[in-house]
Amino acid sequence: MLLAQLKNELWKLFGKKRTYIGFGAFVVVQSVMLLMFKYTKWQSHFERMLSGNGYLATDYISALTVAVVMLWPQIILLMPLYVTLVGGDLVAKEAEDGTLRMILSRPISRVRLLFVKWLAGIIFAAVLVLALGVIALIFARIYFPWKGMFVFGQTQTDSTFGLFPANEGLVLYAFAHLFMAMNAITMLSVAFMFSSFNMKPAAATILALSFLFVNMVMQRVPFFEDYRNWFITHHFECWFLVFQKPVPWARIFESESILLAVCATAFVIGSTVFYVRDIKS
Amino acid sequence: MIQLSGLKKKFSSRLAVDDLTLSVPRGEIFGLLGHNGAGKSTAIGMMLGQVWPTSGEVKICGHDVTSHRAQALKKVGAIFEAPAFYDYLSGWTNLEILSHYTAPTSRERIREVVEWVGLTGRERSKVKTYSHGMRARLALAQTLLPQPELLILDEPGSGLDPEGIAEMRQTILRLHRELGLTILLSSHLLTEVEQLCTRIAVLNQGRKVFEGQITEVKAARQRVALQTPDFAAATALLRERGLISGADGGRFISLANGNSTADVTRALVSAGIAVEGIWQHEQTLEDFYLDLVKPPPLPANKN
Repeated sequence: MLLAQLKNELWKLFGKKRTYIGFGAFVVVQSVMLLMFKYTKWQSHFERMLSGNGYLATDYISALTVAVVMLWPQIILLMPLYVTLVGGDLVAKEAEDGTLRMILSRPISRVRLLFVKWLAGIIFAAVLVLALGVIALIFARIYFPWKGMFVFGQTQTDSTFGLFPANEGLVLYAFAHLFMAMNAITMLSVAFMFSSFNMKPAAATILALSFLFVNMVMQRVPFFEDYRNWFITHHFECWFLVFQKPVPWARIFESESILLAVCATAFVIGSTVFYVRDIKS
Repeated sequence: MIQLSGLKKKFSSRLAVDDLTLSVPRGEIFGLLGHNGAGKSTAIGMMLGQVWPTSGEVKICGHDVTSHRAQALKKVGAIFEAPAFYDYLSGWTNLEILSHYTAPTSRERIREVVEWVGLTGRERSKVKTYSHGMRARLALAQTLLPQPELLILDEPGSGLDPEGIAEMRQTILRLHRELGLTILLSSHLLTEVEQLCTRIAVLNQGRKVFEGQITEVKAARQRVALQTPDFAAATALLRERGLISGADGGRFISLANGNSTADVTRALVSAGIAVEGIWQHEQTLEDFYLDLVKPPPLPANKN
C-alpha cells in the first residue's frame, strides 16, 4: 500500500507543469553559462590560474571542470528557489485546492499521508540534483574535451585547489552530487514543514527561502563566527569538501548527520502541526 | 451508523457546534439542515476526523472517529460542495489515486463504478475538460470505489444547474434503493431535503433546534388559513370562545383541541363576520424551518 500511495504522490507531483520549472531553468542557465565560459574572459582567467601554478591549462579545461564551475551559482540561487517552490506546494497547495479534504475523508492517517508526501518530495529533490549534474556534464561535454578535472573554490572555512585525472574527477563529481542531494532534501524538508502549517503555498515557500537566507547571512556575520555550526547553510558547503585532498570525511559526516537531523526535525514539527490542525474547506 | 453525543467545537472564541447529539440509523436518508454557517460542515468535518471536536464523541459504524479513524471511515464515502480533483490528470488516474488511500482497488472495480456513474468514454480525459455535472459524477465514483455503507454528502447540489440538481437527486435515491446505502445529506436547499430525506435535524447557530421525521414536520402544527375582511376581530372572537389556540401572520389560526373548521365558520358567521375562505394549510418544510430559525422578538422598550 505504501508503495502504491508513493507512486500516486509521484504521479501528482510529476503530473504538474510547475514541477518542471526547475529542470527547465537549469537547462537555460547552464546553456548561458557555458556560452559565457567559452566566449568571455572567464576561460582565459582559468587558464592563467592553472599556468600560474605550473600546470598545462589545455590538460584541465575540460567538461568536468566546466561542469563544476557551472554548479556554483545554480546551487546557491536556483536550487533553493525551485526546491522550496515544490516543497511549499506539497501540502499547502492540496489544502488550498480542496483535494486534501477529499483525501482526508478516507481512512488514511495524517502522519502516513504526510510521510508519503515527504518521500515523494525527497525523490523530487534527488532527481532534480541528478538532472542538474547530468545536464551540466552533457552540456559541458558538447563544447569541452573529456580530460582531467580542475577544481578551485573557496568556502568560508576552506579553500580548495584540486587537480584530478578524469576518472577520479568523475567519481568525486558523483559524490559531490550525493551531498548536494542532501542539501536539496534539507531545503525541501524545511519548505515541507511550513507547508504543513495552515498557510498558502507561496507563504510556505517564502518562509523557507527566508529561513535559508537568514542562515546564509548570519553565517557570514563575523560576530557569529564561533556559532557557524548552528547554521544549516554552513553544512550545505560540504559537497565541495569532497574535492579536497585528503577528503575531510569526519567533517562531511558531521555536516550530513546535522542535515539529516534537520530533515527529521522538520518532518516531526510539520507532521505534529498537521496532526493537530483542523482541515476545513 | 452515525452517533454524535454532546459534540462541541469552538474556533478560538466562536462556538461553531454546541452540544450536538444525533443518531442516524442504518438505511436512512438523513438531512442535516441549516443556513450557511449553522455548523453543518463543521459537524461533518468532525464525523470524518478532519476537525477535532472540543468535547463530545463521534462514532461512525460503531468506531470512535477520534481514536480509531481508520476503522471508522473504512466503509464511508464523502462528497463535498464543489468537489476538488487533480485537474491536470485524467478522471481514471484521479480515481486510482483517491481509491488507494482506502485500499488497493482493481481496474475492474474502477471500470464498474465509472460505468455506474455514466462516465464511460470520458474517464481517460483530463478532469479540467469536465463539465460541472461530470465532476459531480466523478466525485460520486470516487466515493463508491471502496464499496461504502455510509455516504456523507455536504451540499451536493451546490453549484449545479436545475437539471444537474434533479440528476443528483435521482442518483441519491438510486444509491439508496439499489445499493442500500445510509446517506447523510447536508443542505440548505429545503426542497432537496424535503424530497429526499426521511428524517432531518435542523441546526441553527451551531445548536440542534429540531430532529425528527419529515412527516412529523408536516404534522407538527396543522394550521388553518382564514380569509376574512377583519382578521383581528375574528381571532379575538375565536379566542374568546376557546376555538383556537393561536393566530399568526394575519392569515393563519391554530385550532384548539377538538374543534374543526366548521365550528370556526359557524362561530364567525353567527357573529356577523364574513368568511371569504377557510382551509387546512399543510405546513411546508420551509415554513417550519423559518419558524425554527426565526430570531426571538426584541424585548419591548420600557421607556
